[in-house]
Amino acid sequence: MGEMNTNPGVRIGPFEIFLPARPVVPEPKPSNDAGHPGRLFIVEGIDGSGKSTQLSLLHKWLEAKGYGVVFSEWNSSPLVKDTTKLGKKKKMLTPATFSLIHCTDFADRTEKSILPLLKAGAVVLCDRYCYTAFARDVARGMDRKWVRDLYDFAVRPTVAFYFRVPLETAIGRITAARDCLKFYEAGLDLGLSDDPIESFRKFQGRILDEYERMIPEFGLTVIDATLPVEVQQSQVRQIAKRHLEGAQELRIRP
Amino acid sequence: MRETYGRLLPGMKLSDLAGKLIVIEGTDGAGRTTQINLLKPWLEELGHAVLDTGMTRSPLAGDGIRRAKEGNNLGRVTQSLFYATDFVDRLENEIAPALRAGFVVLTDRYIYSLMARAIVRGVDPAWIRSIYSVALKPDAVFYLRVGIDQLVPRVIFSRGFDYWESGMDLHPGHDMYEGFCNYQKALLTEFDRLSAEFGFDVVDASPDPKIVFASLKARILDLVDDSQKSYLSRQVEETIDRISRTIEPNRFYAVPTPPEPSAPTPMRNVPRFMNSNGNGQHI
Repeated sequence: MGEMNTNPGVRIGPFEIFLPARPVVPEPKPSNDAGHPGRLFIVEGIDGSGKSTQLSLLHKWLEAKGYGVVFSEWNSSPLVKDTTKLGKKKKMLTPATFSLIHCTDFADRTEKSILPLLKAGAVVLCDRYCYTAFARDVARGMDRKWVRDLYDFAVRPTVAFYFRVPLETAIGRITAARDCLKFYEAGLDLGLSDDPIESFRKFQGRILDEYERMIPEFGLTVIDATLPVEVQQSQVRQIAKRHLEGAQELRIRP
Repeated sequence: MRETYGRLLPGMKLSDLAGKLIVIEGTDGAGRTTQINLLKPWLEELGHAVLDTGMTRSPLAGDGIRRAKEGNNLGRVTQSLFYATDFVDRLENEIAPALRAGFVVLTDRYIYSLMARAIVRGVDPAWIRSIYSVALKPDAVFYLRVGIDQLVPRVIFSRGFDYWESGMDLHPGHDMYEGFCNYQKALLTEFDRLSAEFGFDVVDASPDPKIVFASLKARILDLVDDSQKSYLSRQVEETIDRISRTIEPNRFYAVPTPPEPSAPTPMRNVPRFMNSNGNGQHI
């Protein structure tokens, strides 16, 4: 990966980069060795773990601090999401095509927004990342190594927060908040049970097992998601702060 | 038994994929579609059920790929994965079921074209090979080979230069002709490498389509005849097996003399397992 070679005050898209008046090379070299000056914070966890709430609170804090923050959501590529929607609506997806179409979506976001923005020095926030695919696709029966190879192009996050919550707590939160569970969300394509709640329970149980396996494998930062929201957020901010030293401030020009 | 390139998709049983998987490969303008349009009716006339399939024809991802290509802003990794989605959808829902039903599957391009395109675009060859490790190994890959000098007039006098066929997404400059030549040359080089690696059956696609067709017919005939022979010998074996089990010696009674095993059914009377309605659809 080549490094950005920008001059102070240069505009990139809607952003203006303010660099220290010292060398032109992106510096100080970030605490990561990712080869880009940006920071990538991502959140992971099963449905109902509260990760999205935590990420949006982090987002507001980062903006208030003056960082140029960009948010990218799972399954949101304008080029790909219609195909995913079609496959889900018509129940056309097998474990393999479910895996591939989500990876296609992720690739488009990586190529068009995540990677270029990190090169521009932005702080990028992702709600779900490749670990979601590793957990879900393997829970659906895909080969662990195949799925990991598939996402080989993914940028390694600065911090990957994993919001760990017991299965029953998550199920309680989800069933209280929703009228019904979606077909693929409940893992009904796997025929684990005809009852959506029971199927969801079994499917999410498998997903939890995969997440547990990934904590040491990818060095996920575990946050206890049963703690009060404020306590979790203060932990998240403290950790994020440590990784923001030397990050460029990208302000959106009014 | 049929094999994959290393990994098995969940739910894919290899033991019952009895049909023949025949791949027609070649660069843009090599005449693949022309040949498939000749081969399909010919095979059907011989009594084979035929499914023809090709890139971007999946109900899941075909339209999505076409829409994404209209905007000319499809990145190389996204492109590779979108095509892989299309491929696996067809592999699981068309190709494997047709093979299971004993069809001859004629596919216009296979994983090799997708690999070549990705590699020419600078994608990691090991990555793309890992994705397609779930693909079924075909019974034959016919690589229709033409040189760049013949490709150019074919393209100019049929459909003109296309943005993607000229590799313009690689931003080679403003000259589409130059872009086309360089991109297609790179593809040809990659195809030649893949040909050696995967053992393609190379067919010189430069002569008249009728000559190419004749050459393909001869090679495919060997393949499908072989399929009939093995089907017949399997039938005979099963019949003998069945008979020998029914006449298992009974210790309380005199063993009857085994009846003569029935002679192999003559070829023309072999019942076809399934038929095609002529459009490659299952009926």
